[in-house]
Amino acid sequence: MSAFLSYLIHGIAQGSGYALVASGIIIVYRVTRVVNLAQGMFAVVAGFGTASLLEAGLPHALAEPMAIVMAAAVGVCTGYVAIGRRGTNPQASLIATLGVGVFAYAVEVLTWGDQPRSFSGLAGSHELFGVDIPRQYLLIAPITLLVFAGLELFFERTYAGKCMTACASNPYAAALQGIGVLRMGLYAFGLGGALGGIAGVLLTPLQPISYDSDVSLFVNGFAAAILAGLKRPVLALAGGLVLGVAESMVAGYSKASYQSSLALLLTLAILIAQATRREALHVVEE
Amino acid sequence: MRQGSRSAAIAAFAVAGFAAALLLDESALSVYVLLALTASVTVGVSLLMGHAGQVSLGHGAFYACGAYAAGLLATHGCPTWVGLLAAPLAAAAVAALVGVPLLLLRGHHLAFATLALHLMFLSLISELTITGGDVGLRGIPRLNVAGVELTSTRSYAYVSFGALFLIVVVARNILASRPGRALRALSSSEVAAASSGVAVGYYKLAVFALSAGFAGLAGGVYAFYMGYLAPGSFPVMLSIEYIVMAAVGGLGKVSGALAGSAVVFLLVHGLSRVATLSGMPSTAPIILSYAVYAVLLVSAVLFLPRGLVAWPAALWARARSRSSSAADATDAATQPAALSSAAAPAETVAPKHGSFS
Amino acid sequence: MIHVDDLSVRYAAATALDGVSLRVARGEKVALIGANGAGKSTLLNALSGMIPKAGGTIRLGGQLAHVPEGRQLFPDLSVDDNLRLGAFRARDRNPAWIYELFPEVGRLRQQRAGSLSGGQQQMVAIGRGLMARPDVIAIDEMSLGLAPLIVQQLAQRLSELNAERGLTLLLVEQSARVALSLCDRAYVLETGRIVAQGSAAELTDSPFVVAAYLGAPVEETS
Repeated sequence: MSAFLSYLIHGIAQGSGYALVASGIIIVYRVTRVVNLAQGMFAVVAGFGTASLLEAGLPHALAEPMAIVMAAAVGVCTGYVAIGRRGTNPQASLIATLGVGVFAYAVEVLTWGDQPRSFSGLAGSHELFGVDIPRQYLLIAPITLLVFAGLELFFERTYAGKCMTACASNPYAAALQGIGVLRMGLYAFGLGGALGGIAGVLLTPLQPISYDSDVSLFVNGFAAAILAGLKRPVLALAGGLVLGVAESMVAGYSKASYQSSLALLLTLAILIAQATRREALHVVEE
Repeated sequence: MRQGSRSAAIAAFAVAGFAAALLLDESALSVYVLLALTASVTVGVSLLMGHAGQVSLGHGAFYACGAYAAGLLATHGCPTWVGLLAAPLAAAAVAALVGVPLLLLRGHHLAFATLALHLMFLSLISELTITGGDVGLRGIPRLNVAGVELTSTRSYAYVSFGALFLIVVVARNILASRPGRALRALSSSEVAAASSGVAVGYYKLAVFALSAGFAGLAGGVYAFYMGYLAPGSFPVMLSIEYIVMAAVGGLGKVSGALAGSAVVFLLVHGLSRVATLSGMPSTAPIILSYAVYAVLLVSAVLFLPRGLVAWPAALWARARSRSSSAADATDAATQPAALSSAAAPAETVAPKHGSFS
Repeated sequence: MIHVDDLSVRYAAATALDGVSLRVARGEKVALIGANGAGKSTLLNALSGMIPKAGGTIRLGGQLAHVPEGRQLFPDLSVDDNLRLGAFRARDRNPAWIYELFPEVGRLRQQRAGSLSGGQQQMVAIGRGLMARPDVIAIDEMSLGLAPLIVQQLAQRLSELNAERGLTLLLVEQSARVALSLCDRAYVLETGRIVAQGSAAELTDSPFVVAAYLGAPVEETS
């Protein structure tokens, strides 16, 4: 029982991180039609950034928010490279984000070296149902819920959020109203950066990150996004949690090394099933 | 390129390649071998991305597949030539199998799927005891051709160039043939190609399997050259390198793949040499190579979408259009007369006066 | 209000508009008639700055609202949201005055724009354009896919707006009937060139226009 509970808690924590990364992917995709391969990198940058700021003596209350802002800025820069030039088609933008991610590797190794790093999060632990749970785990889920609630509010209730939704559904009509499509795209990338940053700040205390941790984060985040149908960010929360918990169970009860393949196989199965249904209906996707 | 100049180019390529293998010294030869193997994979990636329009983030997996196939057969008693033959076949077979469901996907979904493929393959070979797990496969024997055991780097230079040459010839012949024309139709518009009777799915799968076969053959040679294999030799970064080289050189063209591979590989290798000079930190090689890949990739994709090999042609075309747009302007000046005669029927309707304030 | 001189627009190698000139004065109701592919939408896109021009000049004496072909509302947002987004450029984002102008739209305000009928969507699209408080409104293919009665109602509203608020109208239509019955003047665009222009009465009577665009004689409406 205690094993199950600890796997569950771990899975929820991981899954929350995946959900945050996924929501970033979805927002960027919906507004710009570009899949941002560098989404995991935002989390890594924020994690490293927090570690450095804490080492420099800043308190937690400053270090984490600053790191998230930094990640958002990196997001905007990524967006600028990906969509800043007129006439870049989505496939070219996709590859451009890949390039930004690789460039980030160079910067990360230059600044922080090639060894894994971590920092201590919330100290101490809590006893729940007979299992000792480190406080950091208990922090992750509520914060994630808050973030998603905030996203829902943003898109459903604010003018800026509606502008972004408009851009996502019909960029031409949005442009006719004077809504700058490029500007909205950059906001989307910035928001994606912040969301990735939050994921990084929450997850790094659990598991040291190194410059290539972004691959696993992206792969799982994208898987969660696919499970959410690449539509509404709030669905990614469900997708991420399901994925996180499933992986944790697989890692706990069978072999840890198979957990990553699980996410991949699941996502592929869904993608292929969707594509097969589309073929059957003779829908041509541009 | 017309038939005559095409054959001449291939012949020149053959001569240059063999001459280099003959004349270069030992240290340069090890670079040569790896360059030739990398270029072999890149040709396939370039064709896949340029013609079938598919982004493959996982071609390193086919390279690894060929390498492990050859390595496993050779370490279990098969003659090395069997291993070498099996390498491309194994990779192509895996691609054909996996490609049937995978190629239903498009664009970023396919990119993700190929990445997933690479990761899952790495996971697999790290787990299986037969492949030696994380430690890897050791003790792969040297290539044995007609009783002669190949031990020198120079001999592998010949072999790797031979493989590259074979791949180049096959690729060019395919492109020139009827299937090749179908491929080109595919690259401009799948819908148009399908409606004119091209079996789109079949050709996409064929290109996918063929490019995997190219990678597999290169992998096979790699296995015998190195003598040992480990999952660490085939990171995801490898797949990305192929994309960079293909994009920089020019997608869809064999010459592009060769040019791109040469430029990127030699640039990165040269910078690594600089980076390992005394006084540079140990992480300098990684930093420089990542930075170079990234800058080249982004520059190629944003500014030179047709790649290096199209550059001279593009400059030429721009020069010509500048002189012809000047001609256009003078044409326009003489147009009005023609316009008003075309509007003659309208003259009877409403004289062109402005009835506005 | 709108001053177009010798405008040329190119798409890659093809010329979409070739030396087009037209004038719309403040308070006028002008129509632009043409078949599919004549370049009407291209002209509007050039006017609203959506596409670059290859030559010629465009001068706008005020704010222009471009209501695109096919309405192009934001389907998942409510009617109210669609209207508010139309006011992106303006200061006042309150759609109350649109609901007064178009009471039918008022009744639909919280509904998803994608679930509305064609006529309702066209009303919302025009409302969205009006939210920017434009001086001139250019509507592309207003009558496409709509029942004649609905089109008549829309035309009526537009006429009222023109008379009461001085809103300049530029109506782009395949259906010359609607355009000529509502507007005072018209231009005829054919494969990127203006081939005819004149008052509505003149064009209605011209055999050339009738044969190509009208089919049967036009009845006088308002």
